[in-house]
Amino acid sequence: MNEAIILGFLIFLPATLGFIGCVFPKITFPLSITMLAGYALSSLYALNHDINYAFTLIGEGGIQFSIDRYSFPLIFGSSLTLLIVFGLFSKRFSHYYYQVCLVLLTALLVSFSTVDLISLFIALELLGFTAFLLIADKNDKRALFLSFQYLIGGGLAMLIYLIGVIQAFTFTGTFLIADLGNAPETALCLIIAGLLTKAGVFICGLWVPNVYSHANCQSAAVLSGCVTCAAIAPIERMSVTLAPIGETLSVLGVLSAVIAAIYAVFERDSGRALGWSSVSQLGIAILSPTYGCLYAMQHGICKTLLFSTLHNDIDEAQITKSDGASNKIRNHEETTREIVRVLTFIMASLSIMGFPLLAGFATKAWIKNDLADEAKIIFTTSALLTSTVYARLIFDRVNTLRTNYDLPNYFASLKLSNELKMSISASRSLILIFSIIMLVITSLSQIDLFTSYSIRSAILSAFLGGILFTSVVGIQADQWVKPVTRTLDLVGAPFLVAALLLANLLYFKI
Amino acid sequence: MDLAPEKIQLIPIFILMVIGCFGLLTSKSILRSLFALDVIDTATISIFVLIAASNGTQTPIISENLYSNYADPYPQAIILTAIVIGFATQALLCAIALRLGRVSPMLRYRDLEK
Repeated sequence: MNEAIILGFLIFLPATLGFIGCVFPKITFPLSITMLAGYALSSLYALNHDINYAFTLIGEGGIQFSIDRYSFPLIFGSSLTLLIVFGLFSKRFSHYYYQVCLVLLTALLVSFSTVDLISLFIALELLGFTAFLLIADKNDKRALFLSFQYLIGGGLAMLIYLIGVIQAFTFTGTFLIADLGNAPETALCLIIAGLLTKAGVFICGLWVPNVYSHANCQSAAVLSGCVTCAAIAPIERMSVTLAPIGETLSVLGVLSAVIAAIYAVFERDSGRALGWSSVSQLGIAILSPTYGCLYAMQHGICKTLLFSTLHNDIDEAQITKSDGASNKIRNHEETTREIVRVLTFIMASLSIMGFPLLAGFATKAWIKNDLADEAKIIFTTSALLTSTVYARLIFDRVNTLRTNYDLPNYFASLKLSNELKMSISASRSLILIFSIIMLVITSLSQIDLFTSYSIRSAILSAFLGGILFTSVVGIQADQWVKPVTRTLDLVGAPFLVAALLLANLLYFKI
Repeated sequence: MDLAPEKIQLIPIFILMVIGCFGLLTSKSILRSLFALDVIDTATISIFVLIAASNGTQTPIISENLYSNYADPYPQAIILTAIVIGFATQALLCAIALRLGRVSPMLRYRDLEK
């Protein structure tokens, strides 16, 4: 009983802090950072020691929670994402930004750990509202319209989900995910279609590239890091207990992984390409129920790093105070910082490509071993396409660095070691360097995965990706790949997916 | 296919839902989408209420005189939450429509999706 109270309190602590933070913003910010660090460390500990908690709030017939191996990686990933964003962008937060992020964390924690469909519904709705606020944070016409599209699409998806839930209830009599086995196929399809929209898997996830490319970089980092992970945990829970749904989901995952990766290859805008690649990676994550959560966690953290370092950040404060004497030093400092950012970008991209010695390598190897043989070739294809995408992104990023900064001069006068130390030890660069080191350490802790075969295939796929990039770069694909912006497409997608799933379950049986 | 009375009860709700979906998919301005979403919301709520009332229609509160046909309180409690959430969604969407209306007063998708 005691355990239930403590864990329930821990789940709702972030929202409480967020609301207190609206009244006392200055005091609550360090507290919330401490809390996030505590969540990250404790979930990491629990992940390594295989701890499970299951408890029921308000006694018999109450709300059931289960914090287990599906929840811990995602809790770790989302608290780390928020930590990175708080550390990097705390100066650029608008009013009530971090409070909204804290409320978002509560919604995430509930959706990761709940095992009944109604709590999941409420958590996802709360998540939708907070994500809406994050998207609308940029406050121009297009951002407002995108947030409108997100909210109306998400609201419709949740209504579809509710209809599925009530149909399942008439057959099973409970709202637990574990009892969905007796539910009819239509109910399962409606529930899954609603969840897939929130997770941003292909067809339902058409909102992802639009939103990621236009939102603020801190919002895009939070959205890619945690919001899309929220529906992953329940989907994995369902696909373990329900065999037919698991098989159908693998079809959708394969479709999503390949088609979205092709879109990403032909996309010219970096933000949209990252969005499409996010769709493709989450498609891979729903392929394997066992390691999907770990994969989503790794992908979320890397995406957060990518979005935070995608654009060079220009501090208005520094520009205004720059005068002639300090101009040179400032340039040096800025260049060093920019180089650190580009390095982080490259490392995170390599991690998503699954390059050896980085965290993505470990999660990719796990998923690859877990997949069925038929799905392996598709997985390899999508890995190759992903390498192509990131080869192009790295190329673009390094190119902007070279054109905007005077690199040869910088390297020639690199001997000013004191200044170098000072600029590296600026807090933002420290966070980025620390996260690179953590990426390396995570993969080194799984040393038994480093077989010569897997290392060879990973390096080979990276090289092939580079070669493919150079062959694809000349193709003018603007006529074929048009951004999907019509509201009708975004709203109609869940219906289409529900119909497809139903057809597959009843007739095709792939 | 046999039509039980419970299924016949569901037919008007199904029609309502089709109307709402049709409206949402063919709407040309933001306000119409809002109305269509509200129609779908109402249809969902009615499904919940009907299914809760399938065993009986008496209010499920224990009082001095007991009845034999109580409604199922479980879906009713849940749909209360869903009604509140639906209302919140509508309020947020209206706020956004108000802001967008300053830029393009007709609120047509054609103008906004450029």
